[in-house]
Amino acid sequence: MATMTHEETAPAVRRVHLARQTLVFALLLALLVVAFTVSLCVGRFSVPAVRALELIWQGISDPSRELTGIDERIVLLVRAPRVVLAALAGAGLAISGAGLQGVFRNPLVSPDILGISQGAAFGGALAIMLGIWGFPLIAMVFLCGMAAVILVGLLSRINGRSETVTVILSGLVISSMFSAVVSLLQFIADPNTSLPAIVYWLMGSFATATWERTLVAAPGLILGSCFLWMLRFRLNILSLDEAEARSLGANTTRERWLVFCLIAVIVGSQVAVSGIIGWIGIVIPHAARLLVGHDHRALLPAAAVLGAGFMVCIDTLARTATAAEIPLGVITALVGAPIFAALLRHHYRERTGS
Amino acid sequence: MALIVIRGDTMVPLSLIITTASRRRMAAALAAMMFAPAAFAEEIVFKDQGNREVLLAKPAERVVSIVIPMASTVIALDGSTRKLIGMNPTAKSAVVEGILGKIFPEAKDIPSDVTAPNFVPNVEALTAANPDLVIQWGDRGADIVAPITNAGLTTMLILYGTEELTRDYMTMAAKAIGKPERIGELVEWRDRVQKDIEAKATAIPDDKKPNVLYLGRALSDISASGTKGNYNAWSIELAGGKNASAELNGTVSVNKEQIAAWNPDVIFLNAFEAKLNVDWVYNDPILSLTNAAKSKRVYKMPLGGYRWDPPSQESPLSWMWTANLLHPETFKYDLRTEMRTAYKTLYNYDLTDSDIDNILWLKEQGAAADYAQFEAK
Repeated sequence: MATMTHEETAPAVRRVHLARQTLVFALLLALLVVAFTVSLCVGRFSVPAVRALELIWQGISDPSRELTGIDERIVLLVRAPRVVLAALAGAGLAISGAGLQGVFRNPLVSPDILGISQGAAFGGALAIMLGIWGFPLIAMVFLCGMAAVILVGLLSRINGRSETVTVILSGLVISSMFSAVVSLLQFIADPNTSLPAIVYWLMGSFATATWERTLVAAPGLILGSCFLWMLRFRLNILSLDEAEARSLGANTTRERWLVFCLIAVIVGSQVAVSGIIGWIGIVIPHAARLLVGHDHRALLPAAAVLGAGFMVCIDTLARTATAAEIPLGVITALVGAPIFAALLRHHYRERTGS
Repeated sequence: MALIVIRGDTMVPLSLIITTASRRRMAAALAAMMFAPAAFAEEIVFKDQGNREVLLAKPAERVVSIVIPMASTVIALDGSTRKLIGMNPTAKSAVVEGILGKIFPEAKDIPSDVTAPNFVPNVEALTAANPDLVIQWGDRGADIVAPITNAGLTTMLILYGTEELTRDYMTMAAKAIGKPERIGELVEWRDRVQKDIEAKATAIPDDKKPNVLYLGRALSDISASGTKGNYNAWSIELAGGKNASAELNGTVSVNKEQIAAWNPDVIFLNAFEAKLNVDWVYNDPILSLTNAAKSKRVYKMPLGGYRWDPPSQESPLSWMWTANLLHPETFKYDLRTEMRTAYKTLYNYDLTDSDIDNILWLKEQGAAADYAQFEAK
């Protein structure tokens, strides 16, 4: 019996691979829908699940309807924007992490590496200290996050080029600098008012989510993620060896910075409305990679859907577990660290074949 | 007549035997005998709330308060700003924003560089100020105390939380600054008002007690407190209310949905956040639907000689304000008159009508339910 050639088996393998991916995506989307629905139905204020779903349906079918009842407002003005914002932020952070890990060819990189989070944290802490709330605070946070990336860019640019290592080290420098200033602000903050507010804000929360805030953060989160998705082929090339990437015609420095800027927009938008949320950008891309592989064409959307679902679940836990709001950073670390450890072990076992 | 002693076979006048040096020693001993009783009388010894012995050779003339509310208490106990030579920056902001800066304009010049707002002392600035007494928290770790005691400064540790502790540390402070006669009247006033409120509040049936939510922070994140060890929860219960957030453990962040679930009948906003006012509740889509907002029972705590939320020398005024608002049919304190009397005693100051209006935020929340009772007649 003649053995099948490589050319003959490839389409079959591809078909199986495609079917598997479709199944994975269908499952992930189904889980996201479940997470969304459950999250909208549960909370500290008791609204029966059927009533909550009915209210959501009414909200979707007639968005201009005036909301009078407290249950309507709780579901449509508190929970709904919070769930949507959490999903967008989770998706954005996960996709940023996946993109950065590709660019740096390093699975341990997370969006914090560019100093965006710390820069943004400085903006937020300063705003709280100065008694600035609402949109000016969001603007300040976003601008400081962007300023941090620009500083990293300037610092790492030597002779018109910036090497990966220089970028990472510059990110570390800028991050440490902003982190020091944040500590200074905490040191001089009023222990009765601004200090707890700064500390809580640094631990991340969606407690202040409203539709206005969601609309402020959404463009950055959605557009940034979409543009990153459009760069999926480029990301595949950038994740190759530097010389290999160049041989394929990529202007690695320019393209890398394009990715960084998009990530700055995404993370800046997220930190501005919900404070610093760690771990999502590092854990979720790993999990997604296990499910769909390394190809950024599948990895980015998988990370986005998984990130959105994970964040919605975490946030639901944060706001319903106790009467007190649990800061998100605490839960993401508590849940994320063991998951990450398990993933690392899995990854190591696969590589060593043991 | 000169004293003669016999030395060997000769007689020598005593004045020759007593050398100049020993004469000096004797003179010193004599002086010590003459003045010692006075010195011992001036010496002040007491156990502070950190269970340490505090010893002052004489009443403290130069006092630094690293804890926030004690700065204004020291001024009130002394009746002047003479003895307060350093305070926490957050205490100073209350002086500048509130009426204390008007009563004692010189208080605005008292340095606040002796400590960071978080109670970590700047030991060099503190030592340079040369205080006789430094008032510090006793329940926030040794790290903020050791640098002061190591610098050789006399330190008095105080604890926060209950009315008993407040009376106790106020009494200690009065003793330490040599004004023990000032405290009796103040403690008696606290006791009288507390007992009066308690007596009337016990007659209020449980189902008539409103659910009261006090928000320690509101603007960046919202915080509420459980009842244990919380002064605001205690004063709410004293005045015949129920702490809406009693189920919490300590002071923690909560969300608006949780507040809706508690559905408080009354909301008190803190006096710490300068930009916070009752509109924050009325303009909120969720909070505006709580019983408190619907019945216009949302009030910001007054800012007088100190903020009225934590314990201070003005606490009885704060209790009367709370009681009048929670049960206007039971409590009918003439707050304006009480304030005038208290301010005369505490600061030797005659409050004007506009002073009182400002302290009680009458312009900002005059339209709130039952607030008309506080208007000038």
